[in-house]
Amino acid sequence: MPLIELKNVSVRYGEIEALRGVSLSVEAGEVVTLLGGNGAGKSTTLRAISGLTKPASGEIIFEGKSMTGLGPEEIVRLGIAHVPEGRRVFPGLTAHENIMLGASNRSGVSKDQIDQEADAMFDLFSDIRPFQHVLGWTLSGGQQQMVAVARGLMAKPKLLLLDEPSLGLAPVIVSKVFEIIKEIRRRGTTVLLVEQNARMGLSVADRGYVLETGRLVVTGKPDELWNNEDVRAAYLGGHARTAAKA
Amino acid sequence: MDMVFQLLFQGIGIGSVYALVALGFVLIFRATNVVNFAQGEFSMVAAFLMVIFSVDLEWPYWISFLLSLGGMAIYGALFNLGVYFPLRHRTYLPVIISTIGASILVSNSTLALYGPQPQVLQPLLDFPGFNIGTVYLDAQYLLIIGLTVVLVAFQYWFFEHTLLGKKLQATSQDKEMASLLGIPVATMIMLTFVYSAMIGGLAGILVAPILFVSIHMGGTIALKAFAATIIGGFGDVAGAIIGGLALGVIETFGAAYVSVPYKDGFAFLVLVAFLVFRPQGIFGERVAEKA
Ligand SMILES: Nc1ncnc2c1ncn2[C@@H]1O[C@H](COP(=O)(O)OP(=O)(O)O)[C@@H](O)[C@H]1O
Ligand SMILES: [Mg+2]
Repeated sequence: MPLIELKNVSVRYGEIEALRGVSLSVEAGEVVTLLGGNGAGKSTTLRAISGLTKPASGEIIFEGKSMTGLGPEEIVRLGIAHVPEGRRVFPGLTAHENIMLGASNRSGVSKDQIDQEADAMFDLFSDIRPFQHVLGWTLSGGQQQMVAVARGLMAKPKLLLLDEPSLGLAPVIVSKVFEIIKEIRRRGTTVLLVEQNARMGLSVADRGYVLETGRLVVTGKPDELWNNEDVRAAYLGGHARTAAKA
Repeated sequence: MDMVFQLLFQGIGIGSVYALVALGFVLIFRATNVVNFAQGEFSMVAAFLMVIFSVDLEWPYWISFLLSLGGMAIYGALFNLGVYFPLRHRTYLPVIISTIGASILVSNSTLALYGPQPQVLQPLLDFPGFNIGTVYLDAQYLLIIGLTVVLVAFQYWFFEHTLLGKKLQATSQDKEMASLLGIPVATMIMLTFVYSAMIGGLAGILVAPILFVSIHMGGTIALKAFAATIIGGFGDVAGAIIGGLALGVIETFGAAYVSVPYKDGFAFLVLVAFLVFRPQGIFGERVAEKA
């Protein structure tokens, strides 16, 4: 049984059909990457999973149970943490406070324990340790991304959804973020990673899916996808071929 | 010189009332991004509750006081459920209109029940006050200032040092993200309305023995509180307090040295001056709290 399964999920924003019958699954312990260009529907897929957006049709099944009708507050309690696009660090709270709030989905944990767990996060995210008492809005993009991922981990998620963690970051910082994703993977957390950067996405994944204008077009292991002419053409700048195909 | 201290004392006293109402105003604004035009009625309703309990029913003053504050907690919850909650997914405009409607409804219901004649409330404390030198310290003003200090200190501790306070701040900064973390956003907003109604109500009860209790007190207080938030920088918690105190002092000195009948006019003069010359308030934009 997969940890999570999307069955024929469609999402509309008014007239726009952002997802058209997407079916995918992630097994426990896997890191799966969802690739695709701008506007392909990657964020919408994650938003549908975490309950921010209601699918028009289809079903999302987590640990064998349908999540239809659940809102984001309930879904994160089931163990799905969503680190959204744009990091969304609370600007007026410190890095440490932001990270502490990541545990809001867990009941019966004392403030002291959350405090200690947040402290421990800075072992994995040592780059931001010196900035832990600095307000969110003053952090750089890379620092905010680390805070956002650490905050997501504080939920002790069974499934971690990461939306373009490399977006807008300098290459050095991107590799740091991906080192952290590799470490999260080593610790056994299941990850669904959305990326526009196919090379980085595939470098940490067990499997990948490629989305194009709301539809899944290809799926496979990283090297299969990487060696697939269509994928390379579509995601490494070969726009002419994609256009010709469409 | 004593005159100056006397006026300063009174100005800070009345300014504390404005500060409390402004604080409630700002908390709701930050939690919902909506200006609550029925904020002043929180003060009016609480003052009328005091009239009902302590004057009409002749219950002991402190019991009436606690019951009125409890009543305001319920009022705040009902206000949230009736005025804000059904419209929470809409733009700010329907919500603002809803609060204006609530303001009209509440003050006119009160008018229907109590008529236009102002009610009188006795001061909370039995002794009138005392002199330091030639400066007379009125007990009611001292009480107002004292309770305001306690409340502001409590609020600071609550928002800065409790997890619930942090969750409330997170909710006011990014509701969608807060809900993604499992913070119960609707409950956080409910708490904000309850607390805001209670401090607005406390301000109304405290100021009632100084002003008259009438259906118009809500409108006057709300406008002063609004002016206070503009002076302090809209949406800024510390600014609301400083703005409230500043306004109280300005209007008290204005009344003493310029004109008593135009006392309320000074608030609006200051409001207009700030809107024209310094719309960002005394402290200017605080990036930390916008973004
Ligand atoms: N809130 C929204 N309202 C209307 N259209 C939206 C909204 N969010 C996304 N879309 C549209 O849905 C499609 C998919 O968007 P998105 O999932 O954000 O793509 P991606 O994350 O792959 O870049 C795009 O055409 C986008 O313009
Ligand atoms: Mg996206």
